[in-house]
Amino acid sequence: MFMDFILEGFSQALALLAGGDPETWSAVDVTIRLTALSMGASLMLGLPLGILLGTRDFPGKRLVRTVVDTCLALPTVVVGLVVYAFISRQGPLGSLDLLFSLKGMAIGQAILALPIVVALTASALDGADPRMLMTLQTLGTPPGRMVLGLLREVRYAVLAAAVTAYGRVVAEVGVSMMLGGNIKWHTRTITTAITLETGKGEFSMGIALGLVLLALSFLLNGALSFFRRRAAS
Amino acid sequence: MNAPLYRLENLQVRYGDRLALDVDHLEIAPGSILGLEGPNGSGKSTLLRVLAFLEAPSRGVLSFRGVPASESNLLELRQQATLLLQDPYLLRRSVFENIACGLRARGARHGLKEKVFHCLELVGLDPRDFAQRSWTALSGGEARRVALASRLAIRTPVLLLDEPTAGVDKGSVTLLKSAALKAREEWGATLVVVSHDMAWLNQVADSLLAFQDGRPGRSVVQNRLAGPWLEGTGGLWTMTLDCGQVVTSTRPPGSGSVGLLDAGDITVAVEKPHGLSIRNALPVTILEMNLENGSGAVLLKGSCAGVSLTARLTQASATELGLVPGRNAWFLFKASAFQWE
Repeated sequence: MFMDFILEGFSQALALLAGGDPETWSAVDVTIRLTALSMGASLMLGLPLGILLGTRDFPGKRLVRTVVDTCLALPTVVVGLVVYAFISRQGPLGSLDLLFSLKGMAIGQAILALPIVVALTASALDGADPRMLMTLQTLGTPPGRMVLGLLREVRYAVLAAAVTAYGRVVAEVGVSMMLGGNIKWHTRTITTAITLETGKGEFSMGIALGLVLLALSFLLNGALSFFRRRAAS
Repeated sequence: MNAPLYRLENLQVRYGDRLALDVDHLEIAPGSILGLEGPNGSGKSTLLRVLAFLEAPSRGVLSFRGVPASESNLLELRQQATLLLQDPYLLRRSVFENIACGLRARGARHGLKEKVFHCLELVGLDPRDFAQRSWTALSGGEARRVALASRLAIRTPVLLLDEPTAGVDKGSVTLLKSAALKAREEWGATLVVVSHDMAWLNQVADSLLAFQDGRPGRSVVQNRLAGPWLEGTGGLWTMTLDCGQVVTSTRPPGSGSVGLLDAGDITVAVEKPHGLSIRNALPVTILEMNLENGSGAVLLKGSCAGVSLTARLTQASATELGLVPGRNAWFLFKASAFQWE
């Protein structure tokens, strides 16, 4: 009985995806645009901060590392709550009209992803072979190109950081729900749609979206694994 | 006389309380080859990093072409010297990209392929076979040669080599040595070389410095005979070499002391002498003969059943005695010739 129910859900899910159901694909589209925005922001901010933290010594560095590591486990609803307070009508950024928009949601997700990018990039550089920096220096690499040179050397670790951060943002519900409001065609993501549809008893759509989510994760991790294997060969 | 390329005055490098390098005064002439020898941890590699402007001295002055090194000109000075690390690191890219990296950093855009291929040929690697190889597809000796090629490619006025031939196969050793010397031949580079290969250093270096506890001193070719030393008769002590020959010395500081025997204190004979006051006469087979750069003396490496000793003698003596590799001879030295470590 239970298996029939699951199998029926699967077959309906595949029909929804194959048939190009607009509501399902709208959630996929919103998710991809949203995560592209949030990941772009977190990488732009997180990579330089991670490099700084991984290669430079400064007073209070250990404290900063501890804070960043602690933020790895930031609860999504807490981030949602704080960002909500800032971008709601009464908040300091209320005039920017970010609440219930993709940009507002992207801010929340970027905050979730940022500590992952910073911490994993810093760890990759911190644990990297110390001869790497010396080699780049002694080959005359100017400071402007040094960052690119370092990133190129630890590119697979940085890629892994990005994939891990993407896994966090693509699967979160709290931020998207609180800051996006789960508005159909506009801010409804895969995860908020699954939550809603499952609540309504529409398992097939939930399963369809879940399959897309799994496929995304599989694609990203598969690509990472492929690049790593190619690098090692 | 040319103005020195490097001048070091009262220079020290400290790691916490430990004094890693302490140089009162050192000048390195442009186009010269300076050899550095000494035990591990004696400050040789630290000096190379200082000369490469990768490590700032804790105190003292380091000048390059008369200009003191400082934070403001550090990046500019780094372009003048390149260092081949003892255990070189290859960038995670192809052999071609490893060698081209320094060229690109210097803004080179044209003729990269020719330059990279030329440097691969200098280190004895076939460009068609090696240029596109991954850094993971190289043996230890090949990796060392690629690392040297990447330094040669940028043709810096100074080439600093830290144990360039340690731990690599014989074929690579020969190629690495000749490639390093090409830097002086082709563009007049100054070389500073750390090596335990004393025969090579003696052959190519214009001057040699021996490091001990972070301080440089005059280099002498020394043989090291480690204990245990056992008390014998008549106030003399003895130790037995692996070949079974007994070496006699005056009283060492301790049973476990290392006896240092200057190559110049060894007399060479082609027949076993009789009626001499010299206590030690070791039968050896001559393995190598090298001309000592600067002094013109001949360094004779002999083996007593696997134990190597080096003696220094004049070219005239070597010719008179008809010494050639493979010939048997006797190394003679006094019991009082030892210094102790």
